[in-house]
Parts: sequence; structure tokens; C-alpha cells
Amino acid sequence: MSSVFLSVLDLSWISKIQVNHPAVLRRAEQIQARRTVKKEWQAAWLLKAVTFIDLTTLSGDDTSSNIQRLCYKAKYPIREDLLKALNMHDKGITTAAVCVYPARVCDAVKALKAAGCNIPVASVATGFPAGQTHLKTRLEEIRLAVEDGATEIDVVINRSLVLTGQWEALYDEIRQFRKACGEAHLKTILATGELGSLTNVYKASMIAMMAGSDFIKTSTGKETVNATFPVAIVMLRAIRDFFWKTGNKIGFKPAGGIRSAKDSLAWLSLVKEELGDEWLKPELFRIGASTLLSDIERQIYHHVTGRYAAYHDLPMS
Amino acid sequence: MRTGVIGLILPPTFSFLEMMWRICPALAVGCTVVALVPPASPTPLLLAQLSGELGPFPGVLNVISGPASLVPILASQPGIQKVAFCGALEEGRALRRSLAGECAELGLALGTESLLLLTDTADIDSAVEGVVDAAWSDRGPGGLRLLIQESVWDEAMRRLQERMGRLRSGRGLDGAVDMGARGAAACDLVQRFVCEAQSQGAQVFQAGDVPSERPFCPPTLVSNLPPASPCAQVEVPWPVVVASPFRTAKEALLVANGTPRGGSASVWSERLGQALELGYGLQVGTVWINAHGLRDPSVPTGGCKESGCSWHGGPDGLYEYLRPSGTPAQLSCLSKNLNYDTFGLAVPSTLPAGPEIGPSPAPPYGLFVGGRFQAPGARSSRPIRDSSGNLHGYVAEGGAKDIRGAVEAAHQAFPGWAGQSPGARAALLWALAAALERRKSTLASRLERQGAELKAAEAEVELSARRLRAWGARVQAQGHTLQVAGLRGPVLRLREPLGVLAVVCPDEWPLLAFVSLLAPALAYGNTVVMVPSAACPLLALEVCQDMATVFPAGLANVVTGDRDHLTRCLALHQDVQAMWYFGSAQGSQFVEWASAGNLKPVWASRGCPRAWDQEAEGAGPELGLRAARTKALWLPMGD
Repeated sequence: MSSVFLSVLDLSWISKIQVNHPAVLRRAEQIQARRTVKKEWQAAWLLKAVTFIDLTTLSGDDTSSNIQRLCYKAKYPIREDLLKALNMHDKGITTAAVCVYPARVCDAVKALKAAGCNIPVASVATGFPAGQTHLKTRLEEIRLAVEDGATEIDVVINRSLVLTGQWEALYDEIRQFRKACGEAHLKTILATGELGSLTNVYKASMIAMMAGSDFIKTSTGKETVNATFPVAIVMLRAIRDFFWKTGNKIGFKPAGGIRSAKDSLAWLSLVKEELGDEWLKPELFRIGASTLLSDIERQIYHHVTGRYAAYHDLPMS
Repeated sequence: MRTGVIGLILPPTFSFLEMMWRICPALAVGCTVVALVPPASPTPLLLAQLSGELGPFPGVLNVISGPASLVPILASQPGIQKVAFCGALEEGRALRRSLAGECAELGLALGTESLLLLTDTADIDSAVEGVVDAAWSDRGPGGLRLLIQESVWDEAMRRLQERMGRLRSGRGLDGAVDMGARGAAACDLVQRFVCEAQSQGAQVFQAGDVPSERPFCPPTLVSNLPPASPCAQVEVPWPVVVASPFRTAKEALLVANGTPRGGSASVWSERLGQALELGYGLQVGTVWINAHGLRDPSVPTGGCKESGCSWHGGPDGLYEYLRPSGTPAQLSCLSKNLNYDTFGLAVPSTLPAGPEIGPSPAPPYGLFVGGRFQAPGARSSRPIRDSSGNLHGYVAEGGAKDIRGAVEAAHQAFPGWAGQSPGARAALLWALAAALERRKSTLASRLERQGAELKAAEAEVELSARRLRAWGARVQAQGHTLQVAGLRGPVLRLREPLGVLAVVCPDEWPLLAFVSLLAPALAYGNTVVMVPSAACPLLALEVCQDMATVFPAGLANVVTGDRDHLTRCLALHQDVQAMWYFGSAQGSQFVEWASAGNLKPVWASRGCPRAWDQEAEGAGPELGLRAARTKALWLPMGD
């Protein structure tokens, strides 16, 4: 989905903002404690969480064989008999997308076509993960990935611009990424672990949304601190404020560090509390994860059979 | 030394934590507790059963479950040494009046309302979460007054209303709710408040996912309620939030301090200087900066003004259940036929006994008010006799108008004096001590005429000067930082002045007692209105001649006259913040009864003499504790 609106840079939206860190930490602790889901509702929420996953593999040793395995797992995320037991086998439950490096986009597109699946392929770009390369090569990466067949691009912002307060330059860069993407859907990774303070996270989120991103994403997954609740609260508040000012709904994606099914439920209730049910759709919410899917599958296995599964009981991704 | 048997009275909606915070310190210092709890709660009874199994001390914690009509019966039982009352304002007042003169001391913790001050430099979303913590959750004890700076009014209201829509209410044991219910009575109170507010022109907004059955009431936000409307004078019930705007931080302080309630407050501002100024300026017991509702057992929690002055937690919570070692337990001075309406109302007139023989005395002293000697409003004076019956001098006959003038002068001098650094105050006290020493011979000769021996008189003057210096030095150590587990950042325990302190001095030790009471009061930043010893006020008036040159105007005011009449005026005065009375037993009972008017803390001697020359009684830590009030200032840190 590409955003067709054109937003203008308005620095007054970020000039007076203050974020109080201890208060946000307190709110983050409360959310995890206060909205728990059990029994069949938990199973339903876990299946919903599966449909939000961008199944990701971003390692140096990716080759076509493990990409193919990943793409098949994306089409059949939960074992067929478990879905039949929950009566959900015909609802078309797949993950939301598959996320790979630019060099592997061709393999991913081929594997998905062979599996007969039309979920999008997302590619990371612009010097992922550090982003410390020349602008010209960063833009060329985006174009090449789009040519290869990626319909979603995850770009990385230039943290040095945030840390030195150069908001216009940041806005211009992201607008150029937006243009290079063309029709592809743009996710802007803020790399919040390297931005220094929650106030900077808010400001960077607003600039990214003003410049035309479809999604804002917390982190690359490769920093020391990835997606945490305090950072997410600040970004969700920015999304809500942008919606109040312009009427446009921008999506949110946490990535990195989400490994257990319990975590994923906490993330769902966080989005529900801060933004509401309209954001709980794959068009507006994604979770970037790789091992999360196997933990969810094990929880569903437990719900259906009452027993805990061994590692080899469930198909590998 | 521990107090003895404590009677604890809890309100109809109390939390388990509040109860434990009052019982545990009492048991820890060695008191035993009798608790009166409302009938519908089994938890305290279970607690008492557990404590009964403690082996050799079965009677340590006793719980009676009964209606509110048992409160006066429990409070007036002869064996109870202290009653700790926690509940509503009017009941606390009634209890204060009925316990005047009884042997039990009274500690009151009244009211549940708190305050949240939102400036334009705050993180508004986090402040909205603070409002939820304060009023729309099970952690807050009562309603909230919300003060929002005008420039961020629209944004704050929009975010509040949005947040209210996401609150969920239901049974407490359901794991996914924000708030539960507090009984049908609380629900009715809210309905009445909302109806009245609407009829006075306020806008009421209610939202949230709340079941429609009876004991559940939805979170409520009331705005556009002007401060002068009757609805805004009463305490805000749970779960209502009353929002009002303010223009500047200084106006915010005036609005916030403009109610008789003084429990707890939070200040939301990212500018450190502004946050601290507001925090120090609010007249409440606990201030949180950029947080709300944080509690810890090592931090004192209490209030001032009409929130009562009893504390729990921290060192102040322990002092509630202790009294100075060596002093006897309070005796009951109850006299059933003391007529509160006529006590001290009329001044008995003193006619001269006969024609005066002897040298004509010096012209009468005036009242020392506002830094200079003034004539009394009644334009009359009374004679003072020395130990052999001869005329010693004339002093002014002060009345109600003079008391009023003295209290006003003290209030005018208070901001300047409280704002001085401890070092500056110490310097003034030392200057007074030096002046006293220069005047030693005059003071000693006056004391001799009152019947003291020369050596004893000189010793008294020297001791007075020493006491002034000692209190000046002691006040240097003011607030200190508490260590709180689980919080990153300091919590300051500040000792702040009470305000205007009224002191009625004892008859004995006319110079020493006067100075021993004056010194701690002034050292901690209060201004005083003193009624000196009735037998010989001339010593105090001599000291006033020095105070006229050394002290700023209005700092210490001395009014002479009929002691009972002046006591009545001071005790009934609503703008006196605390009162110390060292006179007769009847007077003590009246003072305790009259303090129910503005719930001022009272220290009455009940007619027992006090050894002012002994260090423990004349200059002990008890004086320092009573001369100031505590404020806990929470400063969570992090970026």
C-alpha cells in the first residue's frame, strides 16, 4: 500500500514536545500487568498475532535453500491439523510478509510463486543496518530491490541527522527514499536504540510520517536495545497525534527481541490500548520476528492437545 | 518511649495497605492496637486471628467489626492512650471536639482528595497517565482536582477524554480491569455531585467500559466549574476529576493553596526550576514531581491544614506512636461542666485596691505588635504585683482586636522570614542572645523582685541566652534525603515552617519558658504571637525592647492581658496554624475543643508543670518536632 497524500514539513509539531522517561517506563510496566488474555481468547489472539508477523531472515549465511524453507513456512505457519482442531484451516492464515536482504529478493519471489502464495516480499535497503553509506548507493539499492520484485521496502534513517538536530535534512532524505520506492510500501526504521532519548524518538517518528512513510519501525534488530515497550509507547503516541492532525493512519512495526508468545500478546494489547482496534490489521501493524512463530505454534499445540511439544514435533522454518 | 494502647479507626472504604501502614509501626515500637473496622470487611479479622497465633503475646492486635456509632465509645475508653482516626472531615471534627480533655491523644488523617498541576512544559500524555493513576484506578484513594495551564487546555482535555474511553471497570478479581467499585454509598455520592455540578453550569464527561449495575460508577471529568460555586468547595469524590485552568505558575500556586485541604499533590513540568518552585510552594504533605501516587514505607505520608496532621511511614510515622522518655503519660483533665461558649468570653475587670502608695510607677507597657509597642484597643491596663505584693508595673489589657492585629502582623512577616536561609535565622537568634546578655542586670533585678534569688536569676538569664544560641545552631540541619527502594532518584524529607504559631506561656519561669518556646518556633521559620506569663509579663516585655531593634517587624508579637480571654481568641482564630498552650487544665480542654475549627495541631500541657530548666523538657527534640511540619518531595529521575 503506498500513501498517496503529500505531507508538508511543519517543524512546529515537534518543537514543543517533551517526553518524561520515568513516567513512560511506569506506563509500560502497567500495560504488561493489566491486560491478560486466557484460554480460547488467548488462542484466537495468538492466531491473529501470526497474521501480523513479517517472517524475517537477515543473516550473512542466507542462501536460496533456507529462503525457500522460510517462504513455505510463511504460507503454512501453523501445522494443518492444529488449525483443523481450531476450525481455522480455511481462513487463509499466513504470515503478513517475508523480509530478506536485497540480494535474496529474487529467490524469495521465486519460492513464493512456486508455493502459489501472494504474500508480499519485503526487502531491507539503504545500507541496512547501520545506514552509513553514500546517499547515491542507498537510493540505488531501493530501486534495484523494487525491480527484483519487492513490494515493501524497509529503510534505515540516518541517525547522525537526528542526533545533530537536522530535521529538514532528515525530512528530505526520507522524501527521496519515498520517491525511489515508487509504488512500493515504505517502512522507515528509526533505530530507536541509537537515538539517545525518548524525545528524539518522538521527533524522528513525526518527521518520518510527515515525509510519507507508510509504517514506522522501531529498530533493525541488530542494535543492543531493540523493541521495548517505552519506545513503542512514544511511537504509538506519535502515530495517534499524526492521525489527529492529518487524518492519515500510519502503521507501526516493532522488530527485534520479540521471541515469546506472551510478549506478542502484550504487544497486541499495547496497540489496542493506545490506538484502538482499527490498528490491529496487517495493513497497519506488523511484528518483525523469526523465532516468535515457533513459540506461538507451541502454545497453540498446547492449547489444542494439552501437552507440551518437543522441538521436532513442529515443522522447521 | 512508646505510647501505649492505640485505638485505630478506619473509614468505610479503606485499603489493606493503609491499614497495615498504621498497624505495623505501632506494633514495631511496642504499642498494642485495637482497631475498629466497618462491618463488611473480613480481612482485618483474619489478620487479628493470625496475630493471635503469635504465641506468648496474644492480645497485641485486636479487631472489632462494627458500625460508626462505636467510634466515640472506643475513643473515650479509659485505657486508650492514643486514637488514630482515618476518615471523613466532619467525623474527624466531631471526634476532636468530643475528645477535648480526655486522656487519649488524637491523630487525624482526613480526606482523600489530591491535586495534579499540569504546566505547559509537561509531557501531557504522561500527565494523563498520572490522572488515571490518581483518580481512575484502584490505587487512588479519592477524587482529583486537576489544574491545567490555559495554553495546553484543549490538548490536555482531548487526551483525557480519549484515555477515558479506554478505561475498563469491573470486578476487582478480573485480571483485565483498571478500576473496581467502592460500594453503593460512594456511587450515590458521585451521582449527587455530578447533578449539582451540572445544575451549576459545569460540563460533565463520562466514558469508559463500565458495567451498568449499581455499585459501578464510570470515570467522570467535570470542567467549567468556577471555584466560587458551592460544588467546588466540597471534597471531590472518587472517581471524579474536576479540571480548572490557570494562566501562570504563580496563579497555579494561589489556586492550589486556596482550599482547606492539604493532602498530596503532583507537579508535571519538565523544567526543573519551575517544578521545584511549585513543589516547595504547595501547602501539602507530599509532592510528586512528574509522577503521582508513589508510596513507600520509608517516606512519611501525611497532610496539613484540614487533612489532619498525623503521619504514617518514615520517621514521622514512628514519632506518632512515641512520646519523649521521662515525661508522664497525659492525664485526663476532663471537666464535664466546662461551658465552651462562655469560657474566656468576658474579661473580669480589675479595680485598683486602694490609693497607690510609693513612688509612681513607670508608664504602662503597650502591646508589642508589628515590631513596636502599641496602645491596646481597649485602652486599659492591668497592674502586676511582685512577690511582696507591691506594684511592679502596669501592662496593657489586650483583647480580640489586638489578637487579630497581632496575627495579621505575623502573617505579613511570615513569607520574608520563612524565605530566609537557616543561617540568616541563626544569626538573628544569636543577636538576640547577645542583647539579652547585655541586659542581664535589668532582667536579673526584675526576677529578684518576683522572688528569685540573685544567683538563680542570673543563671536563668544565662540559660535563656544559651538556649537561643543552641536553637540557632540546631536549625542548620534541615531536610535530608531518604533512600527509597525501587525508585531511581531522591526523595527529600523537608521540614517546613507551620506558619503563624500561637504560644501561651506558663506562669512559672517567666523568662526561661518564654525564651525556650520562642527560640524553636522562630528557628524553624515560623512567626509567633505570644501571650507571656500572667504572673509576670514584664520579663517578656523587656526582651521585646531588644526584639524591636534586632528582629524584623511582626516576627514575634507579644500580647498581654487576661489569659483565658486571649486563649479563646487565639484558639478560635482560623488563620493560626498551630497552638501551644501551657496554662490551666480547663484552658487546655478549651484549646483542644476549639482547634476543631481549622484542625490546627495543638500542644497543651493540661495543667501539668514542666521543668523548663531541665534540658529534656525545656530544650528537648520534642520542641523541634512540634515547631515544623514535614513535606516529602519525590524526584524520580531518568531521561
